[in-house]
Amino acid sequence: MSADRTPANKAVSETQLIARAQQGDEAAFEALFNTHKRRVYSLCLRMTGDTAEAEDLAQEAFLQLFRKISTFRGESAFTTWLHRLVVNVVLMHLRKKGLQQVSLDEPDGSREEPVKRDYGEDDHRLLGSVARIRLARAIESLPHGYRSVFILHDVEGYEHNEIAQIMNCSIGNSKSQLHKARLKLRELLREEAKNLAPEESELSGLDPER
Amino acid sequence: MSDQDNETTVPERAACREFERGLASYLEGGAEPSVLAHAKQCPYCAVILADLEQIRFVSHHLPQEEPPARLWANIRAHLEAEGIIREPVPAWRRWLPRPAFFPSSAPLGALAALALFAATLLVPGRSMENRSRLNAGTAGGGMVAASVAPIGPDENLTRTLSEMEEAYRSRESSLEPTIKAAYQRSLASLDACIHECSRHCEMEPGNTLARQYLVRAYQTKAEVLASALEYGGR
Ligand SMILES: [Zn+2]
Repeated sequence: MSADRTPANKAVSETQLIARAQQGDEAAFEALFNTHKRRVYSLCLRMTGDTAEAEDLAQEAFLQLFRKISTFRGESAFTTWLHRLVVNVVLMHLRKKGLQQVSLDEPDGSREEPVKRDYGEDDHRLLGSVARIRLARAIESLPHGYRSVFILHDVEGYEHNEIAQIMNCSIGNSKSQLHKARLKLRELLREEAKNLAPEESELSGLDPER
Repeated sequence: MSDQDNETTVPERAACREFERGLASYLEGGAEPSVLAHAKQCPYCAVILADLEQIRFVSHHLPQEEPPARLWANIRAHLEAEGIIREPVPAWRRWLPRPAFFPSSAPLGALAALALFAATLLVPGRSMENRSRLNAGTAGGGMVAASVAPIGPDENLTRTLSEMEEAYRSRESSLEPTIKAAYQRSLASLDACIHECSRHCEMEPGNTLARQYLVRAYQTKAEVLASALEYGGR
């Protein structure tokens, strides 16, 4: 099984799978779905914070993908194509729900949000070890306005110019939303840590394998 | 932020305000030497910088969530209804929990015997269907009984399969528990499929679909067993 996991083999087999899916081969559709389902569903879940919505959106994204797969010619990476499609499906859904993503009326960087800070005694490094589960939960409770930019940039790895294009905002706006989102997350995590018992706040270190 | 938040937003230290102004750009890779310099001197700002760097780092390594299993079933149903699936996976293969899971291996000589067996089952199956359409199956009665009961005419095949199964049973304890469990699930599913198809073949000797499924279930069982034997033999 491990032999199939090298990047070169993966690319070759994905190309073959796409070709077979273009012929309507169910097994190829299923294999493509299995390869990408976790990342697609996780993105939907983080953007919406709701498992039922995430499931619907992941379904919609995969259906759009498979309906269009015959037009895929391999000019761009399949994964890039798929994830752009997922992001569009999710953002369209959030817009329909009336959830404003970026406050476009705000001039770029005109007003920096002051960093919330305590110059007091307990301003120690509360986030010395941010557990990934806690962070994932905190992201889901971010206000929608900050959440999308944060997820696209810090979780999904998009650049600000790509986000500006996707979200139809300026690059400066994307940058300032990202910074505010990080600060807000820090606040959320610090508040949560303060409410924990002291022994619980000493969370286990970040384990990249987990 | 309003002025009521003064206890948490203290804007009095000019150097800290300067740090805050450069912080976003610094985190995005901008050249802001004053940010790092200040963080080295100011423990409060050092905490903020460390927190934000950690958030940025951990966000890149968040665990991915597994969608519910029904997601594929729902997508599949849409694809089928819309005619996007043109080459469906045969129903008998869906009995396997995860066909791709098994290490693919040369199916050995047993499979050659099975292919022959498949041909012997399929050919009379088709001719039977034609015959039953023509004269209500009376002429083929004897042959139907011979080719269906108990499960097929090829004793070699059933013997080969049971030998393979015996060999597998003697080795299954050496398999990894997860692998063993997967094989067990598959074999149980296939046995159920074989049982069901045999029953249909007996009830409706002219049912070619049931016959095809039966043959494929045998083939798949032989493949699974061959794969298990090869896997366990390594
Ligand atoms: Zn400072």
